[in-house]
Amino acid sequence: MKWVLLAVLFAVCVAIGYVFSMKYKRRVQFYSALILFAQKLDVEINYSRERLKKLIENMDEKTKKNLFGLDKNFLNYLSGSEQLTQEALFKNCPVLKPDEKQMVFLFFKSLGRSDVSGQSKEIGNFLKRFDENLTKCAAENKKYGSLSFKLGIIAGLFVVVILL
Amino acid sequence: MLEGILPDKIFLPIKNKVGFSALNEIRFRADKPVILSQMGQKFFLSDLGKTRSLNEAIFATSSMIEEIIFRASECSIYSVSEQIKKGYIVTSNGVRIGIAGNEVEEGGLVKTMTGFSSVNIRIPHEVNNCSLKAYSSIVTTDGVLNTLVISPPGAGKTTFLRDFVCQLSQRNLPYNILVLDERGELNIGKGLGNYADVISFASKKNGFENGIRSMSPNIIVTDELGEWEDVEAVEYACNCGVNILASTHSDSMDSFLQKSAFKMLIDEKVFKRYIVLSMREGPGTLEGIYDENFSRIMRW
Repeated sequence: MKWVLLAVLFAVCVAIGYVFSMKYKRRVQFYSALILFAQKLDVEINYSRERLKKLIENMDEKTKKNLFGLDKNFLNYLSGSEQLTQEALFKNCPVLKPDEKQMVFLFFKSLGRSDVSGQSKEIGNFLKRFDENLTKCAAENKKYGSLSFKLGIIAGLFVVVILL
Repeated sequence: MLEGILPDKIFLPIKNKVGFSALNEIRFRADKPVILSQMGQKFFLSDLGKTRSLNEAIFATSSMIEEIIFRASECSIYSVSEQIKKGYIVTSNGVRIGIAGNEVEEGGLVKTMTGFSSVNIRIPHEVNNCSLKAYSSIVTTDGVLNTLVISPPGAGKTTFLRDFVCQLSQRNLPYNILVLDERGELNIGKGLGNYADVISFASKKNGFENGIRSMSPNIIVTDELGEWEDVEAVEYACNCGVNILASTHSDSMDSFLQKSAFKMLIDEKVFKRYIVLSMREGPGTLEGIYDENFSRIMRW
């Protein structure tokens, strides 16, 4: 019974470490997906001038998955069933800090509001800021992501040793 | 039809109290009452439907107008910016929305339009068999004659052309018809039958050249000739042996004859039939059919 309890405690510590490390990883995934999303919009707006709704619906599934529902929430706004607010846009997206949410919100709010050259410039400006954030997130992930996981393992071992 | 484009406060009274099928036009002007046009008559829109009382009228606002334009572009202004430069947007179901505001010009060309102050929504109607009275004058045993439909704005030119293309299709006449739908207004509703190819949103010049080269049409149907470039495109098509069915804005035959752009086509008797429509008994009233010498061959 004692060994089972120790195993469970160890697993819990490792899981906590893993969850923390995933938080950093997901932020990197989110910004990578957002950059792909913005680049694809920029190319398609310049080339096909297809409507936003169709462009977003046709995004690949992996990109959509890593946007944590932002695409769906924005589509709800485009179809007129919801207002565009930060709460509505980020309701399934726990990975962003408040200032980052504000920036991403402004990006989505700017979509579809100007002509091709204006829209392209606006997307370009946001892309620079997303790139900067991706670099930061990648550095954080490298520094703290693996560290959190390792700390989880060490904490688990520490608890096991103490209880033994 | 306009669900998702008009705000609920406008859409619901029209839908529930007036009915879109009864309307020809809805006009919004910033800080002015919303005006409905029905069979040539004007009314204000109120919460209870049509009214003549200004106190009951619903007033449009600048933000309402901007939102209508944004929604009409399916939240993608960039996709209709070329149309906005020309002063209109056509929605995916063929509703034409005229726009007024501040034009931004650069090098003599319209760059864009900002500060939208008015919109004019024209509700398209499918009127089955509206071209039948004129059908036998246009289609002869030799084929379809070059025909120009003349009418003031909103008097049913586009509806006439659309129905005529359907009439040809219903009779299984083996013509390849190319419909040049420059503004996206012709190819709506139930479509244009089994023999029509459609090129949308191209200028007359590009559409005629590309369409003749790629689709080998027998007949080209197009809306709203007006500029020199359009006339040249018609000449080009005639030289290629393609028949033309087109329309143009004019209040009457007399005012049409004053249009200098058409002088060459008139002198060369390119069009064999002129069909004049008016609003006298509502949109689509057939006033007369004329031959190439402007002799009236039918009147009502």
